[in-house]
Amino acid sequence: MTTPEIARAQRLRVLTAVVEDHPGVLSRVSGMIRRRGFNIHGLSVGPTGVPGRSRMTLTVDAGHAEVDQVEKQLDRLIEVLEIEDLTETPRINRELALVKLAVDEGSRSRALTEIDRLGGRVLDEDREQLIVELSGEFERVEIALEALRSFRIVDLARSGPVAISKSRDRGPARAPGTQAGGGAG
Amino acid sequence: MTGADIVLEALEREGVRVIFGYPGGANLPIYKELPKHPRLRHILVRHEQGAAHMADGYARASGRAGVVFATSGPGALNTITGLATAFMDSVPLVAITGQVASTVVGRDAFQESDVVGCSMPVTKHNYLITDVHDIPRVIKEAFHIATTGRPGPVLIDVCKDAQQADWPDPVWPQAIQLPGYRPAFTPDLSQLERAADALSRAERPVILAGHGVILSGGEEELIALAEKSATPTGTTLLGIGAFPVRHPLSLHMTGFMGTGWNLKAVQDADLLMCVGMRVDDRVTAKLADWAPRAETFIHVDIDRSEMGKNRRPHMEVVADAKTALGKMLPHIRPPEPERRRPWLTQIDRWREEHPLRYVHSNGHLQPQDVMIEMYRRCADEAIVVADVGQNQIWAALWWNFAKPGLFINSGGAGTMGFAFPAAIGAKVARPEKDVWCVAGEGGFVMTAQELSVAVKHQLDVKIVLLNNFSLGMVRQFQDDFYGGVRSEVDLHDMPDFVKLAEAYGLPGRLVTSADEIGPAMDFAQQTPGPVLIDFRIDEEANVYPIVPLGLGLNDFRELPDDYA
Repeated sequence: MTTPEIARAQRLRVLTAVVEDHPGVLSRVSGMIRRRGFNIHGLSVGPTGVPGRSRMTLTVDAGHAEVDQVEKQLDRLIEVLEIEDLTETPRINRELALVKLAVDEGSRSRALTEIDRLGGRVLDEDREQLIVELSGEFERVEIALEALRSFRIVDLARSGPVAISKSRDRGPARAPGTQAGGGAG
Repeated sequence: MTGADIVLEALEREGVRVIFGYPGGANLPIYKELPKHPRLRHILVRHEQGAAHMADGYARASGRAGVVFATSGPGALNTITGLATAFMDSVPLVAITGQVASTVVGRDAFQESDVVGCSMPVTKHNYLITDVHDIPRVIKEAFHIATTGRPGPVLIDVCKDAQQADWPDPVWPQAIQLPGYRPAFTPDLSQLERAADALSRAERPVILAGHGVILSGGEEELIALAEKSATPTGTTLLGIGAFPVRHPLSLHMTGFMGTGWNLKAVQDADLLMCVGMRVDDRVTAKLADWAPRAETFIHVDIDRSEMGKNRRPHMEVVADAKTALGKMLPHIRPPEPERRRPWLTQIDRWREEHPLRYVHSNGHLQPQDVMIEMYRRCADEAIVVADVGQNQIWAALWWNFAKPGLFINSGGAGTMGFAFPAAIGAKVARPEKDVWCVAGEGGFVMTAQELSVAVKHQLDVKIVLLNNFSLGMVRQFQDDFYGGVRSEVDLHDMPDFVKLAEAYGLPGRLVTSADEIGPAMDFAQQTPGPVLIDFRIDEEANVYPIVPLGLGLNDFRELPDDYA
């Protein structure tokens, strides 16, 4: 079964950016994305191993030409230290979803079986609902969510995508002071 | 030292000589210290938008960053249009705005606005300073960012408590640490060689030059490259001045109001090289129909993000125009004259078939006659600053310099009211130059309050008002593309401009016929200080050629034969 969501997850392009952790940097990045009309599917932000540096992961549902523009326009931002299109490079990507499922006596055991089959974990449960953790590659999470839609999903929280390249290069997230990325401004 | 003193000292260390500004509650500490810094000349404007445009004109005429002061809230917000104008045209500015105290930021204090948020989309970078210790570093970074790479405006919002805080021994940073900013690209030599080789082998090459050539000071390299490769060369509206329009290889201005021979050449070229320009919609008209025969499109620009933004190049050279053109030059093989002759002959034929034409015998004063006479007096030397609208295109199309020169206008943002304050800034920057300001009456009144500044400083700006009592360009679009419905374009209720000039303290002259143009300009040139001439031009005069909205460059329309 391939729903539009799964199909989209399969063709998402993945960009990762290391940015300076200044006030307003998220506003700069999100403002650029909105202003240029880019079609961003997901954006997540978190600290790196280096104080003052954050990593952003962006997933873009678009062709190569638009992704090229996203990358170049973000590179122009002075607080963006490095940006890389990971789509074609060896990488690990993950997303986390927390799903609140309504269950009753009739559906409960079927739901538990299905969650188990999907590799999900039940984090909390009572008679009427289950809270389930799904994590894995974007497509896996989409496929699992699709399968759980046959039950009643009451609420859903997703972390957004995170990704890291398998390269052994020490990027700016690990080595402060290294110059990388940059742009014509 | 107080933070305010540190701001002013930092500006002096950056070599700043002139500030265009306006005081208010949130920058009072800076203004208190200003008299102690006599090396900083402050020009008090009448509206903060005027300050931003003056700094813009100053920067374009001098090549140095223009500096703006404004207070918080409305003062800073009034600069936004000026910042956007500079941003679109890649002009280096540093705006220093006062902000309410950091202790009340975010609490809707009096005259508080989120100026960093508001200016983010129209600046190259911006800063909020809450700590006095950040001032030296931020100001140094701001000038570096504004003036390097692709230039642009930078705004620094300085909280009032940071201005007032004391730092007895400020530390002035020697080096700049901006790991995410690498403005200087070393062009890829193999790409340059490939581009030079392609240009040498092309049958029907065309070069288009933009503002980047002027910003990098690459005019000589452009002429040398065009001559060595025998390549017809045109400019964008912002590139006017980069290439002599009286040069035999000149194609003059491109774009949807460009010259017929330029558009024909662009559409027929087998190789098109765009240098220091963005390839925007006003250059291409309908993008899908632009330069359809170009088998090789070479894009040279300092900003990597321009590559493929609108049209994907076959060869891209990321470098400043002067460097790129200079490094390409030795690799150019001049074509045999025989080989280039058919193309140059074809262009000559187009030039004869599609000359710039206008009616000048219908009894009304024609704007083109005014421009021709003004440019005769410019003698390849003066700075001409144009506003936005028909006046801008007339001034652009009739620019006639035999060598590179300065033609300043708001090409990207199209900001009405730009010309007069920008002309003031240009004159402040280059007092030895004649400065002419060409404007329509609609745009002129948007910033006319700055007449006081020209009078106060006796700045020799000659204002050529092309007055047709209407928003001419909008009226022309309504006539040609919106069913002839003239909606809200009539401006007959304008002031008497001669009296307006006199009220501000400068002389004005009224011109209603062609034979009065020369004497009025004699008067303007012989009178020290600013002079305004109100030219009552043909109210029906239009701009031609023009490409109807939505069509391609091949569909340009010229002056109708039955036009009277």
